Amino acid sequence: MKNILNKVSKTLFGSLSAMTLLMMTFPIEAFAKPKKITVGYLNLVNAQLVTKSLGLIQKEMPGVEVKHIKVGGGGDMLRAIAAKQVDFGGLGNPPTAIGVTRKLPIDGIIVLNMLDFVEAMVVRTDANIKSFKDLEGKTVAAPFGSTTHYLLLQALADEGIDPSSMTILDLRPNDIAAAWARGDLDAAWFWEPNLDKAVKRGGNIFMTSGIMEKRGYPTWDVGVVMKKFAKQYPEYVEKFVKAECAGIDFWINNPAETAKIIAKELSLDLEDATRMMKGTEMVPCKKQLTSQYMGTSNDIGGFADTLVKTSKFLVSQKRLPKQLKRKDYEKFLDPSYLEKVVD
Amino acid sequence: MINKDQIKSNRNIKRFIPPFMRKRTFAYSMLTVNILFITWVVVTETGLADELFLPGPLKVWQSFIEVSTEGYQGNTLFIHVFTSVNRILAAFILACIIGIPMGVLMGASKIARALLNPLIEFYRPLPPLGLYTLLVMWLGIGEESKLALLFLAALPGLIIATIQAVQNIDPVYLRVAKGLGASKKTILFNVYLPAAGPTILAGMRISLGFTYTVLVAAEIVAASAGIGWMIWDAAKFLLSDVVIMGLIVLGLTGIALDIFMRFIGRILMPWTRYLGP
Repeated sequence: MKNILNKVSKTLFGSLSAMTLLMMTFPIEAFAKPKKITVGYLNLVNAQLVTKSLGLIQKEMPGVEVKHIKVGGGGDMLRAIAAKQVDFGGLGNPPTAIGVTRKLPIDGIIVLNMLDFVEAMVVRTDANIKSFKDLEGKTVAAPFGSTTHYLLLQALADEGIDPSSMTILDLRPNDIAAAWARGDLDAAWFWEPNLDKAVKRGGNIFMTSGIMEKRGYPTWDVGVVMKKFAKQYPEYVEKFVKAECAGIDFWINNPAETAKIIAKELSLDLEDATRMMKGTEMVPCKKQLTSQYMGTSNDIGGFADTLVKTSKFLVSQKRLPKQLKRKDYEKFLDPSYLEKVVD
Repeated sequence: MINKDQIKSNRNIKRFIPPFMRKRTFAYSMLTVNILFITWVVVTETGLADELFLPGPLKVWQSFIEVSTEGYQGNTLFIHVFTSVNRILAAFILACIIGIPMGVLMGASKIARALLNPLIEFYRPLPPLGLYTLLVMWLGIGEESKLALLFLAALPGLIIATIQAVQNIDPVYLRVAKGLGASKKTILFNVYLPAAGPTILAGMRISLGFTYTVLVAAEIVAASAGIGWMIWDAAKFLLSDVVIMGLIVLGLTGIALDIFMRFIGRILMPWTRYLGP
């Protein structure tokens, strides 16, 4: 008995010292490999669907379990991030502004998409809505806390219309589609793939997020990573960015193939998928490093200005307690991974 | 002389303390509340808890004042609470009007029980949220679907408690009433209801509590007022002080409703001193 114990302790000691030696010779990061990564992706039309469908992230990191979770909108994603349920996520500029101002531990690492007519305000044709003024007394829906809710209130503010002159309801995109089909809504500002269902049932497009961009209110989605994950596995953040960039390139270079993927992922007709794709602008990763988008590590670009503007608006709406300086929003944007991938 | 005065003033003070506060159990309850509160203060003051997830009592109090006076997204706290209590009471009263007679019927008649049981037993374990999607599609996004959800949450508890209450009535009462030639109506109102009353009331209290737990879910879809909606909306914008304040208000409103129910029970059923937990 004593002998066995001795043997065990010897082997234990031996292997322990061997491990210590190994750990001393190699920096610990060389072994740092996550067992599993969780990617929260938004239920909308962008290249993340391509990346997911082609398994590009998995290809970049063999041996790591890659899990994709579909999230309905920015508000839900924000909660998922706050609860630390994802490693990577996607957020529109209003939820990003909220998250950064409230000091959620996240970094913005890649531009997922710029929003054009993939997000639009649909109005019931027989409600005869020709201007924002005509919305008075009507029932309007938008997912609260999302890009479209922000644009709706911003547009009303610009036209000097009191939002309380109409009923603005908080509904998730799929609920909007259901309520629209019943005829409960007069107008709704939301996004594909559900937007199309409303258009097909007696609706027409009155305003798009692309038009609002030209008015000075760009909306976009940015890919984020949890700070803790980024610190622990920086190479894997780079791998993630590389995979997403490959997805974006595939989208730009193979539109026909991409449409097939989108159609399959979202159970759409090929024709609808093709049209929805045109409503989303994908920005090649190299271009993301220009001043209009992320900018560079030394000179953060226009995204920081959008965040300042969005936060200011949310503060005026009492959805945010206070606003930060541009410098603080710059800290959130981290183009260093993009820079490494593009070089 | 001094002693007598002291006793007198002591009595005067005691007069202003409600009887339940004089009990020793009340002191123990207060101990729990105080420990919880002190833990909250310590955890937030020392920075053990992230302020984003658990703001301090002062912050929550400030948000209470702010929402009470300035309102949250267009409505003051009072209106939010009022809207929600209205929804709950409307649905609950409707459930009582339908559920209690149904329960009496099912408890008294084997045939009625056999006829209605499959329905009740099937839908009782369904989670109300699972039904909600369907309710929204059928009834729309207005008040109807919200009330229907709360109603469906309230109903089974009421029916089952009433069946139990009726079945547990001592058969001697019935035999005596019948032997003395009481009509069916007299038996219902003078035997069944008075004898089953206390158990039914207990069922009502449990059912009201359960209805309360579904409130936030009911107000997620297309509400713009209500305490449940306020909590849901504030969570979306990570306004955790409003969330916690809302939860405290929700809890206190629930307790107030329960006390109100017991009060009503005491008035309606003076023959039985209802002793609740």
